[in-house]
Amino acid sequence: MVLLPAAKALIWQKWDDLYLVYQPSSAETHVFNETSALILASIERGPRPLASVREWTADRLGLSADDLVPEEFDLAVTRLEELGLLDRGDDTIAAE
Amino acid sequence: MIVGDLDQQEFAEGLSGVGLCIQFGPFNLRIHSNLPTFTHVAYPLYAPYPLFPASQLIDFHIQITSPPGLRRWVRRQACFALDGHFPFAPYAVDHAFPALEWGINWCIATRAHHLLMLHAAGVERNGHAILFPASPGDGKSTLCTALIHSGWRLLSDEFGLVRPEDGMLLPLPRVIPLKNQSIEVIRQFRPQAVIGPEFLGTRKGTVAHVQPPLESIRRAQECARARWLIFPRWIADAPLSLTPIAKSQAFLLVATNAFNYEVLDQASFRLVAQLVRDCDCFTLIYSNLDEAISTLDQLAPNCQ
Repeated sequence: MVLLPAAKALIWQKWDDLYLVYQPSSAETHVFNETSALILASIERGPRPLASVREWTADRLGLSADDLVPEEFDLAVTRLEELGLLDRGDDTIAAE
Repeated sequence: MIVGDLDQQEFAEGLSGVGLCIQFGPFNLRIHSNLPTFTHVAYPLYAPYPLFPASQLIDFHIQITSPPGLRRWVRRQACFALDGHFPFAPYAVDHAFPALEWGINWCIATRAHHLLMLHAAGVERNGHAILFPASPGDGKSTLCTALIHSGWRLLSDEFGLVRPEDGMLLPLPRVIPLKNQSIEVIRQFRPQAVIGPEFLGTRKGTVAHVQPPLESIRRAQECARARWLIFPRWIADAPLSLTPIAKSQAFLLVATNAFNYEVLDQASFRLVAQLVRDCDCFTLIYSNLDEAISTLDQLAPNCQ
């Protein structure tokens, strides 16, 4: 499985440990914690395998991939998907 | 030329004729009224405001007049209209002045989308402005009124108007509607404050309007840059506290408090983010005006 960016031209503002993200396609402003923001940032340049996103996010948080709580990661991915900020696709998309 | 250059009869005749063109900060209004209950109150309170020639662009054509048709003979009422349309139910004729002032607020809030409009009071001193975003009942108007009678310049009591081009605050120094206990609080605090008559039993309780100091009205075209975002809250008998808050929290408080955050699309996000980046952000809890003013005076460099 890969994660794909579903919204373009996001505008970011980081303060403290919170990220404010403006989504032009929906005119919505989101507030994310670091985990959600890193997941989103990891796919800004294009599709990325889920495992790679998990690994990259954990690394940026100073954790190993095993230490990143799966429930927290999965919840963040699901929430970002609900908000229209990412999509899930099969591995052939990443190969393309 | 200002309203006070007319005598009261000329003022009343101007209003009941084609209307008078009065400038409030960035907005040019043509006001029409045939109600003595309006003109008697408006004349002294509007006296320092500039008149402008009818040949200039007019932002809002508004009126506060008797009901149209036979109703004017049945009930003594005041009807607010914008461009000939009556958006609200009639008011008691004795409440014509507050009705027009609320009507002006409505015009601005629903039409002035070339500006980011925050629900906030604003004051300035030595080129530095404080914005007070707040909800109704938080003591914003009372604090703002006390400050402008203590050496600060009024930018606005109701609208923090942010110009998208450069993030500057545009002054809108209109009369300030004090409500209920706040009226007596200000009478006690500054007996010399110019306060209009009290309107009892309005839709917002008892209301009286404070005329801003003349200096604020004279400098109505002088923009200012926000330096502090302060979220005030009046709590009876509470000790004063001025507490820094996180920028992310300030952003959310300002954005959710804006009249037209959703309307301006990403410009709103950029403007609010810039505002928060440029400002020191605090919550202010107060119960005593002298204490609050003393604390806020210390923020502004060389403010004495």
